Amino acid sequence: MAATLLDGAAIAHQVFSRLKERIHTLHARGLQPGLAAILIGENSASKIYIKNKAQACQDVGVYSEVHRFGADCSEEQVFAIIQHLNVDPRIHGVLVQLPLPAHLNSERILQAIAPAKDVDGFNWVNLGAMVAGHTMLAPCTPLGVMTMLDYARVPIEGRSAVVVGRSAIVGKPLALMLIARGATVSVCSSKTPDLRQYTLMADILAVAVGNPGLVDGSMIKPGAVVIDVGINRLPGGKLVGDVDFASASQVASRITPVPGGVGRMTVAMLLENTVTATERSVGID
Amino acid sequence: MTAKIIDGNAVARHVRGEWKKRVEALKLRGIVPGLAVVIVGDSPASRVYVRNKVKACAEVGLHSETHEFPADSGEQTIIKRIEELNANPAIHGILVQLPLPPHLETRHLLGAIAIDKDVDGFHLYNVGGLVVGENNIFPPCTPYGVQCLLEYENIPIEGQNVVVVGASNIVGKPMALMLMAKDATVSICHIKTRDLAQYTILADILIVAAGCPRLISAPMVKRGAAVIDVGINQLPDGRLVGDVDFDSVKEKASYITPVPGGVGPMTVTMLICNTVAAAERNAAKNAEKIPVPA
Repeated sequence: MAATLLDGAAIAHQVFSRLKERIHTLHARGLQPGLAAILIGENSASKIYIKNKAQACQDVGVYSEVHRFGADCSEEQVFAIIQHLNVDPRIHGVLVQLPLPAHLNSERILQAIAPAKDVDGFNWVNLGAMVAGHTMLAPCTPLGVMTMLDYARVPIEGRSAVVVGRSAIVGKPLALMLIARGATVSVCSSKTPDLRQYTLMADILAVAVGNPGLVDGSMIKPGAVVIDVGINRLPGGKLVGDVDFASASQVASRITPVPGGVGRMTVAMLLENTVTATERSVGID
Repeated sequence: MTAKIIDGNAVARHVRGEWKKRVEALKLRGIVPGLAVVIVGDSPASRVYVRNKVKACAEVGLHSETHEFPADSGEQTIIKRIEELNANPAIHGILVQLPLPPHLETRHLLGAIAIDKDVDGFHLYNVGGLVVGENNIFPPCTPYGVQCLLEYENIPIEGQNVVVVGASNIVGKPMALMLMAKDATVSICHIKTRDLAQYTILADILIVAAGCPRLISAPMVKRGAAVIDVGINQLPDGRLVGDVDFDSVKEKASYITPVPGGVGPMTVTMLICNTVAAAERNAAKNAEKIPVPA
C-alpha cells in the first residue's frame, strides 16, 4: 500500500482562498486586518521569515508593518512598542519573531502581548484557554496540523492519536486540540522507554521532536495518518522530517512530506489567526 | 500481592505539619498568610467546602476570611470585591467557590483574580503556565494533591507510563500536563475513548477522575500499578465510592487510594500550600524592594 500525500502547499492554497473571502467581508465593513511584527537583531533566517509573512499579508489584503530593533535593544524598548501596538486600532495581531538575542527574556516579552492580539498563540492566557477547552488563538503549527487533518477529512473523534514530542508550542497544544476533538491522546517524548508500543496504536501519529528517522514504517499501524512536524537538515544539506518517509509511506494511508507538508501551513495559520482576531474585535465569531 | 493503601489523611497531616513550619517562619518576619474565600449563594455543598477550607487555614495558622454574596448578586459587585482583595496586603490567596449561580460568568470572575493570588490555579495565565511547564505558578489543587501523594510514596514518575482517565479542565488535563513535565509518557482517556482497557493495562500509574463508579475493574489494571482514584460518587444507598473497584483492584495494584480518605484530604491541603507559597513569593518580592543600607 502506498500512502496518499497530504500536500501542505495545496491545503495552504485552499486556506488562503477561504481567508480572502473573510478578508473581503471585513473590507466591505471598512475594516482591514492589520499585523505588526517585531524583529530584533540580524538573524538572517528571522529576516526571511518576516519577509515571507509580510509578502503573504500583501497577497491576501492584510495590512502589515515591521518594527525593527538592533540586537542590543533593551527589554523596556520592546515592552514600549508592544504596549503601543496593544492599543493601536489598526493592528489586530502582534508577533515577536523568535529567537531573541540572549539578553532578552522571550517568555516575559511574549506575556506583554495582549491575548486578543497574540496571533502566534504563545501567551499563557491563550495556552491556558486551550486547557480550559475554549481555544481563542492557538499556536500556528498545531493549528496547521489540525487544519490539514480537517481538509483531508481525517476522522478524529474516538480515534487513537499519538503525539511524539511535548514542546509548549507544538506537542502539548496539539495534544490539547486533539483531546478537544474527542481523540484519545498519548504524548510521548525522548523519555518514553518503548516508543513503538505507543506509535503502533496510533490512528493519527504526529511527530515533532527534531530527530531524523525516529519513526520508521515498522512502528506505524497500517492505514494510520502520519503527520511529520520535524524539519532536520542532514549533513549533505537535504531536509528531512522525523519520519522515515520511504518506509512509512508504505504502511500509512496518508502522510505529510518534508519539505512541503506541515511547514507550508504555518504562515497561512498566522494570517488565519490575524483574521480571526480582527473578526473578534468587532464581535464576529 | 495486596496493594499498599495510601492514607490520604495521614499524608495530608504530614504535609500540613511541614507547611506549618513555613508559616511559623513567615510569622517571625511579621507575615501571616491570608486566604479570602468568595462564596455566592447558599448551596449547602459549597458551604461545607468553604467551612473545611477555613478550618484547615486555622489549623495551619493562616488568616482566612469569607466574603459572602447573595445568589442574585451582579457580576460587577463581586468583581469589585475581588479587586479590593487583589490590593489588600493582608490577603495572599483568593478563591471563588465554584459552582456559581448560572447568571454569573465563571471565566469573568476567575479572570479578575490577580495572578499572583490565584491559589486555586484556575486563572488562564496560571493554567497556561502548566502548558509551558513553568514552576512558579499555582497548580490546581486536586492534581497537585495527586502529585504530592505520588511523591510522598516515592512512586517514580519519570519514564513511566501514566494513564489519566477523564479529561476535565480542572483535574484530567492539568494532571496530564503536570506529569508530562515530570517526564512521564501520558495518555489521556475520556468518555469518547473506544477501548479504555487497551490503555489502562499499560499504566504504571493509573489516575482515574471520571465520576463513574466501578469504571475500573481488576482485569483493566497492570499488575503492580499505582492506582489513584479521584472519583467521588454517592451510591443510591448513600455509600461514597470512587471510580475504581477497590476490593478487586487492591489485589493487583502495588498502591491504591481509598475513597473516601485518599485524594480528597489532599485537595484542601494543597490550597493551604499554594496560599503559603503566595505569601512567601510576595515576601521575597518585597524584600527585593527594600534598599540595602550602605
